Amino acid sequence: MKRYIAYSAILALVWCFVHGTVNINNFILGLIIAPFVIRPFKTLFNFDKEFSFSNALSKIPAQIKYLYVLIVEIIKANIMVAKIVLQPKIDIKPGIIAVPIDTKTDLGITAIANTITLTPGTLTIDMSDDRCLLYVHAIDATDPEGVAQSIKDDLEKYVLEAFE
Amino acid sequence: MILNIFSNMILVIGLFFVFLAMLGLARLPDVYNRLHATTKIGTLGAFGVMLSILLKVGFSPMGVKAMTVALFILVTSPVAAHMISRAAHRHGVGLCKESVIDEYGKACNAACPEPEED
Repeated sequence: MKRYIAYSAILALVWCFVHGTVNINNFILGLIIAPFVIRPFKTLFNFDKEFSFSNALSKIPAQIKYLYVLIVEIIKANIMVAKIVLQPKIDIKPGIIAVPIDTKTDLGITAIANTITLTPGTLTIDMSDDRCLLYVHAIDATDPEGVAQSIKDDLEKYVLEAFE
Repeated sequence: MILNIFSNMILVIGLFFVFLAMLGLARLPDVYNRLHATTKIGTLGAFGVMLSILLKVGFSPMGVKAMTVALFILVTSPVAAHMISRAAHRHGVGLCKESVIDEYGKACNAACPEPEED
């Protein structure tokens, strides 16, 4: 029940933004419609785990920090790829490497896979069946250990803090 | 007035990044490297265009909708890139000849070895 209220509030807020005017009428309309949207897609949400509002709220500072790191990494990624594209002769050594991850939950793996795609020179392709390896296409794959280490140090700790 | 100039500047930067994404799409060698260009640069380019709309019209319904579109692009474009590259690899699209390593191909072959052609 608590879970329905939390997700309904989020969906109502999204509805306000899609509609374009953020006011109390739209929010209440979204709050009324949201359970009918959540019910058919119940399997996608994690209803088994214990949920508490205080736990969800306490993660917000870590999530803001993660968002800040993400924005900085996106800008760095753009400058790096722009440099490669603008070179007169393209000289790259791409390759697909396996990166071990510590994250175990669905949300954490989704978050880290999308973060890897948006950060400099790396693109997630697939996850191994036992959920402990990510296959990452790197635009500069001459040093596989270095890429794996940089993902672990720069990104994974923020994702772990924010989503687990 | 100053907001208008700022908005135009961000629009030009965003369009420049979209142009770079298309240039990368044409110049880079294979499907995976092209996805690097379209997901990363394309995202920031579209984000810049939407941000410039927000600065131009303020927090009116149109500006708020533009911001929502920008956030949805930011969330969905990595997923699209991931699915395209995975489908391409499973379909047998090889890496370009400059590639140095392919651990995913090795793992796939170990799981289900391809029948030998004769």
